[in-house]
Amino acid sequence: QDAEYTLRAVANSNENDEDYDGLQVFKSYVEAASNGAIEVEIYMGTQLCSNGAECLQGVADGSIDVYISTSDGAAGLFPYVQVLDLPYIMADDRVAERVLTGDFPRTLRDMALEDSGGMLRLMTIGNTGGWRNFANTERRIQTPADIEGLKMRTVVADLPQELVRALGASPTPIPWPELFTSLQTSVVEGTANGITDIMSMRFPEAGLQYLTLDNHAYMGAMWWMSNETFMSLPEDLRRVVVDGFAQLQQATFASPKRKSIAAYEEFVEGGGDLYVPSPEEKAAFAEAAAPVYDWFTTNVDGGEEILATFREAVQQAESELAEERSRDIQ
Amino acid sequence: MSRMLGVVRPLSWINERVLKAGRAVGIVAIAIMVAVTIVQVVFRYALNGALAWPDEAARFCMLWMTGLMAPTAFRRSGFVAIDVLPAMLPRMPALLLNLILLAVSLLVLVFALQIGWREVTGLGGRFASASLFLPVSWDMTEWYRVPRSWMMASIPVGLVLMISVCVELILRNLADLFGARGLPPIPMGDGMDTGIRGVD
Amino acid sequence: MLIWFMPLFLVFLLVGLPVFFGMLAAPGIILWLNGQERDLTLLYRNLYNGMDSFPLMAIPFFMLAGEVMNRGGITTRLVEFAQALMGHFRGGLAHVNVLSSMLFAGLSGSAVADTSALGSMLIPAMEKQGYTRRFAAAITAASSVIGPIIPPSGIMIIYAYVMGESVAALFLAGLVPGVLVGLGLMLVIKLMADRYDFPVASARYSWPDRGRASLKAFFPLMTPVIILGGILGGVFTPTEAAAVSVVYALIISLFVLRTMTFSELPDVLGRAALTSAVVLLLVGAAMSFKTVVSLSQTPQMMADWILTLTADPLLLLLLINLLLFVVGMFLDAGPAIIILAPILGPVFIGMGVDSVHFAIIMSVNLTVGLATPPMGLVLFVASAVSGERVTTIARAILPFLAVEVAVIFLITYVPAISMTIPRLTGFAD
Ligand code: NA
Ligand code: NA
Repeated sequence: QDAEYTLRAVANSNENDEDYDGLQVFKSYVEAASNGAIEVEIYMGTQLCSNGAECLQGVADGSIDVYISTSDGAAGLFPYVQVLDLPYIMADDRVAERVLTGDFPRTLRDMALEDSGGMLRLMTIGNTGGWRNFANTERRIQTPADIEGLKMRTVVADLPQELVRALGASPTPIPWPELFTSLQTSVVEGTANGITDIMSMRFPEAGLQYLTLDNHAYMGAMWWMSNETFMSLPEDLRRVVVDGFAQLQQATFASPKRKSIAAYEEFVEGGGDLYVPSPEEKAAFAEAAAPVYDWFTTNVDGGEEILATFREAVQQAESELAEERSRDIQ
Repeated sequence: MSRMLGVVRPLSWINERVLKAGRAVGIVAIAIMVAVTIVQVVFRYALNGALAWPDEAARFCMLWMTGLMAPTAFRRSGFVAIDVLPAMLPRMPALLLNLILLAVSLLVLVFALQIGWREVTGLGGRFASASLFLPVSWDMTEWYRVPRSWMMASIPVGLVLMISVCVELILRNLADLFGARGLPPIPMGDGMDTGIRGVD
Repeated sequence: MLIWFMPLFLVFLLVGLPVFFGMLAAPGIILWLNGQERDLTLLYRNLYNGMDSFPLMAIPFFMLAGEVMNRGGITTRLVEFAQALMGHFRGGLAHVNVLSSMLFAGLSGSAVADTSALGSMLIPAMEKQGYTRRFAAAITAASSVIGPIIPPSGIMIIYAYVMGESVAALFLAGLVPGVLVGLGLMLVIKLMADRYDFPVASARYSWPDRGRASLKAFFPLMTPVIILGGILGGVFTPTEAAAVSVVYALIISLFVLRTMTFSELPDVLGRAALTSAVVLLLVGAAMSFKTVVSLSQTPQMMADWILTLTADPLLLLLLINLLLFVVGMFLDAGPAIIILAPILGPVFIGMGVDSVHFAIIMSVNLTVGLATPPMGLVLFVASAVSGERVTTIARAILPFLAVEVAVIFLITYVPAISMTIPRLTGFAD
């Protein structure tokens, strides 16, 4: 029979992206678990709307029901979500996944609900594209000194620019579609992205041959829903949707890991230089990046509190993991 | 009839003045677009330090340029259309057809304005600009992030002007239909209406 | 059924509703009748966001650069240069007309600008030398279509934006086809010149005279070098290149050649802004339209339907050329690209035609359409400039159109013509 509710889900990426994997899992789970009462329509790309401001407005006014934004896409409305972009706070996937399945996203959810007048509901935070790393066309980056003077592409948002500046490079805002040409012609010399994005955009062909796995920021994907649409569902279906987002989150945790294997292989096969910095080198990066934290706490409303909450969540996750790990290896 | 002419004349007068002011702002806007883009090239290439704001500032100006210039183009029949059929029809049917076309245009404009206004005042308008700030204290220590609505307002403003133009064109068309005379023509010939049609 | 927006749009278009309103009204009405009222908001949102784009800014910039060059008398120097090179041939001024258009194409992205700038100078000059006015007007119109084929190009910027292609790739791909059109026209002139005994324009220039003419044309001729060199050399992006060419044109007109004064500036800016506003609104409407095109699955349906006609790609390309040629007879190139690219592009790219190659097929075909009767835009402009009737020019232009159609076929069936340069420079694969 016809579905009672239709959820229109939008992701601005394409079908090769982990966002799509997540949505497939969400669709399959929600449609089955609701016994067909909910139908999920997936719109990939920019068919319906093409950036965070537009799409989130669509979610708010009900023309879109589910949308995934990066933290940069939502920062114009909720500047504190950039806390996820602060570098070198979470050490690895296990820590990140523990934090994001914990209470921290709920804190962000409550803040965003309040700031959007009860319209935008953060459903979960997954991953999109793994970790952000520094890649460039010029040389291997081992220490912060190596990155000095490079023209690094950033989005037009403060935090990524502050980070690049703190490391002594020169932040250069270039729209994503123009990035390939800009790398090719050296309008910019580097970018901070995950490996899957780098490979799917064929950046190595534009000369991007040096990749340093400093894993400076976790590429969090924020999944939003219209609060009104969500709350209009009966409680049992709300449960299905919430479980669906939990499934989606797990899928987006797993998908980049699987996808990055082939991407790394392809990168190295194409002659790319892959460098994993030592713990000491990574510490040097973290130290050089320190001004970003000050910038965040002084310039972002509510920055200090959210950073403290975030650090606390990370610490708790780390100690839990350490404790579990010590039991697991006995 | 004379009452209708009594409406067209002042409306035409107002449109003429308002659109002229709009064109003046549009001219400044396109000049700024060029200037900030060049500033960006200089800063990035010569000084090796790209700026964050020129991209957004230029787009800001481009949208306002569009919103303020388009009504003039509309008023001077500068919107691209296939005018084979209207040109083939005799005078009366052509006027009637034109009236219908203007009515459809008005419908589009009014609907668009309603939605556009909702967009400006909605959540999307509250997004703060990533790079455009205004000083809000005399010593320039406090800055206000320009909200996206300031940029979004360009199109609804343009739509309001186009609605006003559309109403004028409809009234002029009616006047023509009923054989009214003595309406001042829409002024052209200030060097701003040749080649309006497009990029071709 | 959402798909009904297509026939409705066609009706609106044919009865003379401006394309901008038609692109919003047709999908809007069908969405509303379908009860999809929340999607009306999407139409508006894409209209707005379609215009809110930095790469799109190349359009006002190149328009502005063209305006400045026209005012600044840059055209005169190009024609003198062309004359120094080709004036002594039989049919010299006709050759000069074509060569000037090729040179002018490197500065401007518009065929209309070419016809009005070169026509007002060359048509009277040709008449004085004994050419018929209709022939002079015809060759002016025919050669002006090179303007948007050789980079920069207004319609290619639009195509690249609407379809998400690289502007640089399209620009580079247009180089050889543009030169080919020029050479084809010169060939026709040569054949006609021998047969009808065309006049030579001038005595052969001495080398020092040629040197002087080149020197005077040096600054204008550097424009394409700066644009393409700057893009390829990483100094600026294509959009920034457009702004640079504005400033460059201003500097040579205001300070080097001193052919323009500051008091003319507001007028020049205003005209460029006015034209750009119309185009930008159209591009925005195209993005709304495209949203409904994809919501309605039109490209898939089109592809299925086309495949029932024939699956032979060579035949399909022939059909597409026919369709584009007919469309070009009635619609300007820019709006035609805006309407057709989102519908036809996915179909042919899905069938394995390279996206850059398809962009060139479309652009060249629709640009030539600007010079075809009954609705060819440059025919009207040529008529206005020369005082000759449109129908007369339309008849005189036929031999030139024939060679342009031949070039279109060549471009269609030999992809290497368009693709070699972008491939060699790494902008296409
Ligand atoms: Na050109
Ligand atoms: Na010519």
